[in-house]
Order: sequence, then C-alpha cells, then structure tokens
Amino acid sequence: MMESEAIWLTIAGLTLVTIVTRNLFLALGHRIALPERVQQALRYAPACALVALIVPEVVLQSGTLALDFGNPKLIASITAAAILLLTRRAVPAIALGMLAFTLVRMF
Amino acid sequence: MPLQAIFGRDAQLATLRRSAFVRGARAAAPALVATSIWGLVTGVAMIKTGLSTGQALAMTLLVYAGSAQMAALPLIAVSAPVWVVVLTAVIVNLRFVIFSATLWSYLGRLPLLRRLVLGYLTADIGLALFMNRYADAPVEQRGSSEQVWYLFGSCSATWLSWQPMSIVGIFLAGYFPAQWGLEFAAILALIAFTVPLVVGRPTLAGCLTAGLVAVLAAALPLKLGLLLAVIAGVAVAMTVDLLGTRTTRRPSA
Repeated sequence: MMESEAIWLTIAGLTLVTIVTRNLFLALGHRIALPERVQQALRYAPACALVALIVPEVVLQSGTLALDFGNPKLIASITAAAILLLTRRAVPAIALGMLAFTLVRMF
Repeated sequence: MPLQAIFGRDAQLATLRRSAFVRGARAAAPALVATSIWGLVTGVAMIKTGLSTGQALAMTLLVYAGSAQMAALPLIAVSAPVWVVVLTAVIVNLRFVIFSATLWSYLGRLPLLRRLVLGYLTADIGLALFMNRYADAPVEQRGSSEQVWYLFGSCSATWLSWQPMSIVGIFLAGYFPAQWGLEFAAILALIAFTVPLVVGRPTLAGCLTAGLVAVLAAALPLKLGLLLAVIAGVAVAMTVDLLGTRTTRRPSA
C-alpha cells in the first residue's frame, strides 16, 4: 500500500491524465491540422479501441486464455451479442447477459 | 437551477436544445443501470484498496475514468511507483485522445469552455452512442445544435448515473462482499454499445485484429497491449479499405 502523500500525488496525476486525454484535441484542434491519412484512420479507431478494451476482459481469466463454456464472461458476452444482433435492443442484451453470467458462475 | 441557464433564453432554440438533450439522455438510458453498478463497484474497490474516504471521493469526482481507476488500484495496492500508475492510466486513456480527435469535427466551432466540458464528460458510452447516430453525418452538417445537445444529454446522464453511485460505494464499501462480479455489467453495456459500431468490412477486420492483439499482448506492462491493439486494428482496417473490398455502408470521412 502506498503512503498517503503518494496516493494524493497519484490522484493528481490521474486527474491530469483525464483532462489532457479527453481535451487535448478539443482544446487545440484548430492548431493541429490532421493529415488526410490520419483522419481516415480515425474513422476506425473508436470501434477498435472499445473492442481492444472489452475482449481481454472477457476471454482472459487471471492472465490465461479461457475459451470454454466454463468461462461465465465468455458465455454472457456471446449471449448479449446474440440478443443484440437479433433484437437491436441494449436492455435485454445486458440483462440476459448478466443472467447468463450469474447462472454459469453458480453451476 | 432555472432551465433558462442551461438551455438559453430564446424559447424556440431552448425547445430544440432540450429535445435533443432528452433524446441523448434517453439513448443512454439502457446503459445507466450498468454504469451506475460500475460506479458503485469502483467506489467499493477504491475503499477496499485502502484509499481514505477523502482520497476516494477526490478520485471519483476528479478522475472520472472507471477503467483507468480500476487499472490504477492494484498498482496502488502494491505500492508501485507513482509514474508507473500514471503512465498506465495514460495508456488506458489514450482512446480518449482518439475520441476527442473524432469529436473535433463536430464540436470544433463551439466556445472553448463548452468544448472542454463536453470533452471531460465524454466517456466510452457517450462516444459510442454519438458515433452510432452521427458517424455518417455529412461534414457540412457537423456541429449542429441537435448533435451537440444530444451528446451533452447522453454524457450528462452517464455522469449522473456514475457519480452518486460511486459515492454510495465509497461510504457503504464495508457492506459489500469482495466477489459479486457486478462490475461485469459494465463490460456487457460496453459490448451492447460497441457492436452497432462495427459496420462494414474494414471496421470488422480492424476490430477482429484489435481484439486478437489485445489478448496476445495483454501481459505487456503499462497496458501497452491496448495501444498495440488499436494501432494494429486501425492499420488492418485501412488496408482492407484500400484494397477496395468495400461494403454497402462505410463510415463517412
């Protein structure tokens, strides 16, 4: 466990990280001329970034790949994605995904 | 606070803004249960890590970045050097740089303060919702009042579902068992709002690559795997695009 001062310093650092990452372009956008190529890349970046954030959370169990039916997160995610593709509605997808997650964890 | 202070004095304009704001907030509604649970879990996790109440409150209100906070907490627990924690958060949050660059073409003409407020509020769900709806908006129509207030509505709703619950988590941490798995609801919500973004062959190829690389490189320090995954995903998406295997609907430039 960190010392109290170090934690406060960390919180200050993380605050700065949030402000800078979320606002860098919005504050300075007019001074940064993005090349055509980069603008093209940006169309694909949000979806890629979100997928890169999600997939390891789902298929890794304490660092090891778990692509089997015993992995509740995998079953839940497949359930949620399937329901979403079928119904196009987020609420049933999240709710039934959570149900599948709980069921697989229990049994 | 009088509504005039938020939506302006011009009645017609205020109605338009308010309806866009409400549409945005409604669009975010399906995610709000998940984000509030995620906020609660993050609040609990901060206290369980050993942060004081004041530190946890400061962290939730100032940092407001669930995945960066969750990445930082285990490092705080093992007394990692401050710069390691901060650098890890930079990499986890790099996607926000991409998001804000994406939003620039929509928000660039707003006054600086509004840009900054919207930038601070725009986390994953708000961005995913916004791109679902307006990714194909023609360049000359970007930055309309309707778009700006839609974004403000969905992001305010997310913020308001996250913060109070995070604070509840901070004060009631003692009552929560360590392993409930509730935080997974947040991942499901992210999935629900990310799947509709994966339209067209280049995006699909990019996302598959990003997912694969993120898993293969997950063990890299400082969450560098996340960065590698985005770079690889975007490179593959652009290659597929250039090869001309275009499908019916492409996100517009």
